Amino acid sequence: MRKKVLAVSVTCVAIALGFLISLSIQTQKDVEALDLLQSQRLSSVKNLLVAAQADGTRLKEEHNNLMLQLDQARNQGGTSPELQAQLDHYQMMDGTTAVQGPGIMITIDDRQQDHKTVFPLTTDDLMAISNILKFAGAEAISINGQRIVAPTAIVMSGSTKLINQVPITRTEGMPYEILAIGDQDQLVDYFSKLEATGLKQSGISVSIVRKTLQIPSYKGSYSVGKGS
Amino acid sequence: MWCPFAYTNRKYKLWADSISATSGFRFRKLGESRVFFIVQYKQLKEGAGMPWSKKGKLLIAMASGIVGFIFVILLKSTGVQGVQTVRADTSIPSLVQTEQENQLMANDNEKLRQELSQYKEGQNANLLANQQLLKAQINAGLNEVKGSGIRITLDDAQTFSNTNNDPNYYLIHEEYIRQIVNWLWNGGAEAIAVNGQRITSTTEIFCSGSYIQINGTRQMAPYIIEAVGDVHNLQSALKFYFWDRLGEYQQQYGITRRLEVPTETITIPAGQLKKFKYAEPVKGG
Repeated sequence: MRKKVLAVSVTCVAIALGFLISLSIQTQKDVEALDLLQSQRLSSVKNLLVAAQADGTRLKEEHNNLMLQLDQARNQGGTSPELQAQLDHYQMMDGTTAVQGPGIMITIDDRQQDHKTVFPLTTDDLMAISNILKFAGAEAISINGQRIVAPTAIVMSGSTKLINQVPITRTEGMPYEILAIGDQDQLVDYFSKLEATGLKQSGISVSIVRKTLQIPSYKGSYSVGKGS
Repeated sequence: MWCPFAYTNRKYKLWADSISATSGFRFRKLGESRVFFIVQYKQLKEGAGMPWSKKGKLLIAMASGIVGFIFVILLKSTGVQGVQTVRADTSIPSLVQTEQENQLMANDNEKLRQELSQYKEGQNANLLANQQLLKAQINAGLNEVKGSGIRITLDDAQTFSNTNNDPNYYLIHEEYIRQIVNWLWNGGAEAIAVNGQRITSTTEIFCSGSYIQINGTRQMAPYIIEAVGDVHNLQSALKFYFWDRLGEYQQQYGITRRLEVPTETITIPAGQLKKFKYAEPVKGG
């Protein structure tokens, strides 16, 4: 009778033990496979990203080269300086030329922080910010490298913000960098009084720096004058 | 003798009790929690003549050792919260972004190359510059634009029907106009004007008390937003939550939100030339 009980319990324990061992091995295998897959996926994305960034710098160099050649060709071709000045003026207005000058750089950090609740920046906020800067007489504005021009739309696509149909949401570094060229005093004054206070109340960190800036050109297309 | 089994459950307590009744394993409650450990096993009194052999003790010790080891490995590989598959993959959004930017840059370069080849073919430089000038003039909104399009009218409520409500609900705000303009651009509008003021790159739509400042001019309600473009696309672009909310305000508070698709052509006036005091073009970049 005692032996039987012992045998049964030992068998049970042995079965349970076997089951546990096989389960543990299986899990270990799965986890290893998953790790491998993850790291492969991550490294392939990283490679693509590095390649794309290299492509980007190459394209930028090409762009600068072409602009220089074009300038030379224009001078040789004998474009009248008045005409060139007018063209520059119009292209500054439509944003198709990069501009430089004194202005302000606004950096906005709406990432979550441990010690306070942060309400993230919305597309409405971005619209309001660019509107205030225009009100303060900004001559050129960019948000995360996207020039703000007349047909600029600021929209959400899923969890990503699009400006000029280009995603501007950043995953590393400062989430938002807004540049504006114009009267520095007026830009700082208007922005800090009309917009920065509200943002700070939402827990967002805002910093404004006066500096001489370069603002990139609008690379999208204009639909005005095409049909209809 | 200790064994790394822990029971946290009432059901297991019953089970543990029945085990200890038949086998002589004893479980101990740990503090106030309902955790039980096997603390010792004891020979049954009736079976005093049949003690565990040394070999048996050794086997049990080994078995519990193995079980403990496996348990630790399991815990290590899966973590306390189980397998965590979610690992924030931060590279994908920036990859998409970089590729988009590259695409735009490549398009731009293609344009420049075309222009350059036109120069090389010996085209008249002034002629070419004039063509560009005209294009820039149109893009900058310095020309009148005519075409089919839509007209939106927004107006404040005529009466404050319920004085308990926030008076803001009865008024049209700068934000409404800004939102609508934004969504019309998104719908591919060619040109937009609000109360006859052409929306250009530097146009502000800013509330200054009783009026809204647009292009430095004072505009009062009603606000008439006119847009030239594909009529169908412009109308679909308006179908966002904000438009619906304005509709609710119309019903509840009596503001005006009207969408018209005129059969006649809409004329969007030309914008003003902007003087630049601070910005200058970057040469060679």
